[in-house]
Amino acid sequence: MILARNVTKFYPKHDKPALHNINLSISKGEFVFLVGPSGSGKTTFIRLLLREILPTSGEIEVAGIDVVRLRSWKIPYLRRNIGCVFQDFKLLPNKTVFENVAFALEVLGKPHKVIEAHVPEVLKLVGLEDKAEKFPHELSGGEQQRVSMARAIVNRPPLLLADEPTGNLDPSTSLEIMALFDRINRLGTTVLVATHDREMVDSMRKRVVALENGQIVRDQRRGVYGEG
Amino acid sequence: MRVSWFLKEAFISLRRNLVTSFAAITAVALCLFVLGVFGLFILEVGQIISSLESDVEVVAFLKDTATTQEINDLQHQIFNWPEIDKMKYVSKEEALRRFRKEHPDLTQEIGDVNPLPASFEIQLKDPHNVEKVAKRLEKVEVVEEVKYGKKYVRNLFKLTSTLRKIGLLFIILLLFVSVTLIAITIRLAIFARRQEVAIMRLVGASNWFIRLPFLLEGMIEGFAGSALASIVIYLLWIFFFPWIEKALPFLPFEMSYMLVFQIIFGLIVFGLTIGALGSTIALRRYLKV
Repeated sequence: MILARNVTKFYPKHDKPALHNINLSISKGEFVFLVGPSGSGKTTFIRLLLREILPTSGEIEVAGIDVVRLRSWKIPYLRRNIGCVFQDFKLLPNKTVFENVAFALEVLGKPHKVIEAHVPEVLKLVGLEDKAEKFPHELSGGEQQRVSMARAIVNRPPLLLADEPTGNLDPSTSLEIMALFDRINRLGTTVLVATHDREMVDSMRKRVVALENGQIVRDQRRGVYGEG
Repeated sequence: MRVSWFLKEAFISLRRNLVTSFAAITAVALCLFVLGVFGLFILEVGQIISSLESDVEVVAFLKDTATTQEINDLQHQIFNWPEIDKMKYVSKEEALRRFRKEHPDLTQEIGDVNPLPASFEIQLKDPHNVEKVAKRLEKVEVVEEVKYGKKYVRNLFKLTSTLRKIGLLFIILLLFVSVTLIAITIRLAIFARRQEVAIMRLVGASNWFIRLPFLLEGMIEGFAGSALASIVIYLLWIFFFPWIEKALPFLPFEMSYMLVFQIIFGLIVFGLTIGALGSTIALRRYLKV
C-alpha cells in the first residue's frame, strides 16, 4: 500500500535533512504507528505521501500510484485514495456534521442518492448518528475528531492517514478514537497513525516504526513506543 | 454536471460572506460607474469632434475666365480623386444670391457687376487630408484661390487628437484601478474561506471543481456591480441629457440610445470579466501544491 525507497527530503535553508534515506514498506490491511519526538520527520513523511511536498530524492508509491512522478493535475486522484485525519480536525464551522461529511462526497461529484446512503452509514460507524444536525462548535473534541474520521473514510479510501489525531484530546477520549481506528482497520482499511502518544501506542500493540532525526531507528511488529 | 450544486454553493457563500460580498459589489459598481460616465463622456465628445471635423471643407474659387467646358472637365477630374466625398458647384449667380441673402445691407453697393467668383465646395472622406487636397487644387489652371481655414483646421485637429489621447489614458487608468480593486476584494473573500479550499484539496476535489464556485461568485458580484452602475448611469442620462442639450445648444449633441446601450453592454461584459479574472487571480495562490 505504501512503499518508500531511499527517500530523502531537504527543506530549503536547512542543513540537515528532515528525512534521510527512508526505506519503508506497508502492506494492504496493516495498522502502523509512526512514532518519534517532535521534529523527527513524521509530518514530513505524511506530507510526502499526500504529495503536498516532493522528496529531494527517492521513490514513493501509494496505492499503486508513483507519487513522485505524478502530474500535478492528477494529484486529486491520488488524494481520493487517502483519507486524512489531523490534530486540529479541519472541520468547516458553518456546516453541520452531516454536511461536513457529505462535503467530501459532494466535491467528488457523487450523486445525491449515494450521499444520502453513505453519510448516515459512516456516522453510525463513528457513533454520531444522533448528532448529524449539530454544528462542530456544539460538539466535544472527541466528537469533532470522529466527524473528521467519518469524513476521511466516507469515500472508502484504501488508506487512512492520521497526523497526531489525539494531540488535542484527553487520555480517555484518545482511547475511544484509537478503538475507532482499530475498527476501521478491521474493515479492511490500511491505517498509518503518526503520534507521540506513548500510552496509546503501548496499549494497542501494533506495528511501530520509530523515527529519530529523520531516520528509521526501529521497526517492530506488535511493538511499543520505545525503551527510553 | 451538477450546475445546481455550484450555483447553490456560490449563493450560500455570497450570503454567508455578506460583508465581503457587499464590499466587492460596491467596489465593482463604483469603478464601473466612473468608467461608464467617463466612457459616455468620451464617446459623446468623440461624436462632437467627428461632427466638427466633418464640417471642414475646401473651397476652390475659379477664375472668371474659365469656360463652361473647362469647369465641367475640372468637376469630373476632381470628383475622381480618391479623397473626395462630396462636391458642389456654386456658380457666380448662386454666389451672389447667397451674398444678398446674408448681407442685405451691402447689396446696394455691389451694383450691377457681379464681383463674386464661381467655386467648388468640396467635402472630404477624411478631413485630415484637407491640406493635401488644397495644395493639389492650387496647381489647377483655372483655380484662382483655395480656401480651407488653415489655422482653424490645424488647431482643431491638434485639439481633437489631444482629447482622444487623454481620454484613452484615463480609460486605461480606470480599467487598471477597477481590476486591482476587485482582485483584492475577491482575494479577501477567498482568504476568509481558505480553510474550505484546503479541505476540498485534501479530500481530492479537482482544481476546476474548487475554482468553479469562486468563479461563479466573482462573476455574480461583477454582474451585480455592473448592473447597479448601469442602472444609475441610465437614470442619470435620461434625466440630465435633455438638460445638457438645452444648456449647450451650440454643440452638436445627439441623444443616442445606441450610445448608452453600448456603454451598458460594455460595462456588464466588463463586470463579468473582471469578476472571473479577479477570482481566478486570487485563487491561484491557494491552489498551488
